Amino acid sequence: MEAMMLLRGLYAIWLREITRATRDRAQLIGGVSRPLIWLLILGVGLNPYFRGEIYGEVRFVIPYTYLQFLFPAVIVLNIMYTSIQFAVSVIWDREFGFLREILVSPMPRPLILLGKVLGGSTIATIHGGLVLILARFADVTLSLQQMFTALGLMFVLAFGLTSFGVILAARVRSFEGFGVFSNTIILPLYFTSSSVFPLDPALTRTQMVTAYPEWLVFLVQVNPITYAVDALRGVIIGFNQFPPTYGLAVIFGMAAVFFVVALIDFSRS
Amino acid sequence: MNETAITVHDVTAHYGSKKALDQVNLAVPTGAHFALLGPNGAGKTTLVNILCTLRRPDGGTAVVAGADVIARPTQARRSIGVVFQDSSLDDRLTAWENLEFHGLVYGMAAKPRRAMISTVLELVELGDWTHEIVRTFSGGMRRRLEIARALLHRPKILFLDEPTVGLDAQTRQRIWQYLDRLRRESGLTVLTTTHYIEEVENADIVCIIDHGRIIAEAPPEQLKKDHGIRWLHVVPQDATAAEAIVQRFPQAQRLSGTGLALPAGDDDRTDAFLAEFRDRLSEIRFHPPTLESVFLSLTGRELRDRADGQRDADRAAGRRGGRR
Repeated sequence: MEAMMLLRGLYAIWLREITRATRDRAQLIGGVSRPLIWLLILGVGLNPYFRGEIYGEVRFVIPYTYLQFLFPAVIVLNIMYTSIQFAVSVIWDREFGFLREILVSPMPRPLILLGKVLGGSTIATIHGGLVLILARFADVTLSLQQMFTALGLMFVLAFGLTSFGVILAARVRSFEGFGVFSNTIILPLYFTSSSVFPLDPALTRTQMVTAYPEWLVFLVQVNPITYAVDALRGVIIGFNQFPPTYGLAVIFGMAAVFFVVALIDFSRS
Repeated sequence: MNETAITVHDVTAHYGSKKALDQVNLAVPTGAHFALLGPNGAGKTTLVNILCTLRRPDGGTAVVAGADVIARPTQARRSIGVVFQDSSLDDRLTAWENLEFHGLVYGMAAKPRRAMISTVLELVELGDWTHEIVRTFSGGMRRRLEIARALLHRPKILFLDEPTVGLDAQTRQRIWQYLDRLRRESGLTVLTTTHYIEEVENADIVCIIDHGRIIAEAPPEQLKKDHGIRWLHVVPQDATAAEAIVQRFPQAQRLSGTGLALPAGDDDRTDAFLAEFRDRLSEIRFHPPTLESVFLSLTGRELRDRADGQRDADRAAGRRGGRR
């Protein structure tokens, strides 16, 4: 009986996030236009340059087109944007008083946060899923099993990033501040995640450093998003630059760590 | 009526070095309409926040519907309904969605939930607006929806923080009729906070709070009898006249504007005053004992400076507008 009551509350908090998201046109437009721009313009534009043979020297020996290579990364980009923007929902609750309605209710704090994060992750996963519609265009064929594995990974990634958004929200006071903040976080993370260019695993480390400056290689290697993109790339086009277990460990690790930190933040407030 | 719904014992609260509540003690009987009356910043909202478990007191204990708010907050939350001073609705959801959310979060099963939602929507006359987005609602409609929401889960205690801001007289009466029925039939306890005298005339017990301290607690009639005296409000012709009056009658208290108030209980003194200053006054008026005069005689101040209150409201609106 008690558990049933708590489940209802969890469902209500989740449902509210979904309902609000469907009424937020701007967010939906962003979710659809972003992959189109990245795939149609950047992807199609750079597609011919991707194979290194152009200058008679094979630098990259990746047997995929640029569109195929970029495709999983665009999914991650869409998830990153939607997840981290979720912080706005948390700030909104705090600024416009709705938080008090939830806090005086008998729902335990951890469940309130869980409901919110689950709602945010669902929306982010849907936005990532929108990219999958473009799969055929990018010459990516997915079996049903690949698709579900990808969606599962996307959801866990979204869960971690949404929790990260909540952590940011606790440290940002205003909406305006957050807009700037989120862009200075998302794009650098995205660009240094080996999303738009590969780190060729066929080359030795010395060769890698001659192809790319050492600081860039370093940034790519310490960026957790690198491994998330890699894991998704492994599932979707079967190409991994790192051992596949790295990606899984990072995705699940982020989900666990960020949620716990968000929980500590939220219980303290 | 002989049980207590709310017990507050030596509750103290600070904001930084400023004391918001100073050893407050209260006992609210079950089924009562208890009104906390005091000017803005007296500590009313702080006390309500403590009672509805949003803020921990810095000292003392509070028990709400049999549950200690510090030791067992979840149990306390289950039995209370709260209408906050500022809106706490989600204005991107419809009226129904706001109520559905509330019902679910309080763990209500589908059938009683749906039934109660229509009951409370009818009560506040928002039946025709059930599926409209709250953003399109006027201030009064939002207020009504919040009251409906606070009653949805059939709380044992209802907190109304400045409840009737933005409500027309008819709706206010209707809501009070319903609350009175709930009080009689199911022992609902209602605690309101207000700085409007009109609000508390019908309360069972009025508790006057100022500077975080309780200075009187009794039924309104009792308060008027004990502390209410007739007051003579005068407007002196000029500042020198006002100065002369204050010099001569130190018990005179300055009102907002240019007015002065003198206790008019002692007829000799009133006669003496009138004889002396009759020609230097532009206006005189006798005020029978009201709660306003009770407040004046207890604190030496008017309950509220109307201009100040308006300024606060404007500032709050500006802040919200700036952020949105």
